[in-house]
Amino acid sequence: MKNRKPIRYQPSLPKKNDNITHTRPVREFFLLLAGVIVLFLALFWSLGLFVDMAVNVISPEKEAVLFAKARFDWTRKKSADSAQQRYLQQLTDSIRPCLDVQFPVKIQLVKDKEPNAFAFPGGTIVVHSGLLKSVRSENGLAFVLAHELAHFKNRDHLRGLGRSIVLMALSSMLTGTNSDITRALTPVQLFGQAQYSQNRESEADKTALVTLDCKYGHVGGATEFFSTLLKEKKLPDVTALHYFSSHPAMRKRIQTLDSLGKDLGFIVSETLPLK
Amino acid sequence: MENILILAILISLGYFFGRNAEKRHYRSIEERERNFLEFATTSSKFPLADPDSIDRCALAKGSVVISVDYFKRILAALRNIFGGSVQSYETLLDRGRREAVLRLKESCSEADEIINLRIETSSISKGAQSAIGSVEVLAYGTAVYYKEPK
Repeated sequence: MKNRKPIRYQPSLPKKNDNITHTRPVREFFLLLAGVIVLFLALFWSLGLFVDMAVNVISPEKEAVLFAKARFDWTRKKSADSAQQRYLQQLTDSIRPCLDVQFPVKIQLVKDKEPNAFAFPGGTIVVHSGLLKSVRSENGLAFVLAHELAHFKNRDHLRGLGRSIVLMALSSMLTGTNSDITRALTPVQLFGQAQYSQNRESEADKTALVTLDCKYGHVGGATEFFSTLLKEKKLPDVTALHYFSSHPAMRKRIQTLDSLGKDLGFIVSETLPLK
Repeated sequence: MENILILAILISLGYFFGRNAEKRHYRSIEERERNFLEFATTSSKFPLADPDSIDRCALAKGSVVISVDYFKRILAALRNIFGGSVQSYETLLDRGRREAVLRLKESCSEADEIINLRIETSSISKGAQSAIGSVEVLAYGTAVYYKEPK
């Protein structure tokens, strides 16, 4: 080593940096994002079809057994007046034959100012006490109940639940439960979900209208609930988020019901008062 | 909707600030590399000149910690799904390595030569899910001082 000849050192700077890729990152970003969205929607859509298939297999009886022990949000809320609950139950039972709903449906009235009603798996319709203040007639109330019954008949509540499960499973499987990507994609998922359930809502509205005609012989009071909501501005009519809302905007909903009633030759007559 | 808006703002902020910071850093790196061009630095175990002419040696080190911006992070996360080279992290590591070597040289600018240069990289977040992705790059070598100026 002692007799080693000195080495000549020839420094130079590289002309081009070969250690990095010289492409535009923005282009890559949008390309990858588009890929993820397409992949996600395709998976969600196909699994949604699978949910529909599974829902058809589950009978209402089996559903009641499956969800007998399930606990939902409303089980924590206080139940309201039992006389009113009995009245709602009677009204529901009286319109069930019109919809050809064979299985029993339980009505649960809970104290909540927000006027709303929900169909829950297991055959329960939860009615908020605020709803009774938003309708003036029995016909108006019957329409809302018929709408929820229609969801049961069409098995929408199970479809909704199934799709939510698919959604959560997909996003956490793909990127982890609380990752940036999951957060980024959430509105996209909601959009697909909203479009889907908008169709289901319209379908339930239609069924409810037919049911109202079957029960009372006319469709008076059908749009009562929506008109009240629109008047009281409890729900936004048209907002920036309209596209994402699962319920069609109120005004449009009322118009659709009116024209549908005319098309089917339904008449509008006097409504019965609330008991 | 709000979520996607916030995310879009974060990503574009990350993109613009990150890009500016990177451009400035590269300009500084290139300028300093030109200044240090004649500073002999090798990964060889042996000095370039006759070992007898060495006066003394010292350990020299330079290290740097660089964080990714939000845009790069999202881009890398997207890459995670499809695979392929993570281009957004390439510049990060390239900058880190060059900066660490430059800092090493600056720490012993009186030396005649640096031999046995080694570079090590370690992740600060160690793969933690929500932690900020940043890297530490450590460069170390032997600074050689000759008996008389070259």
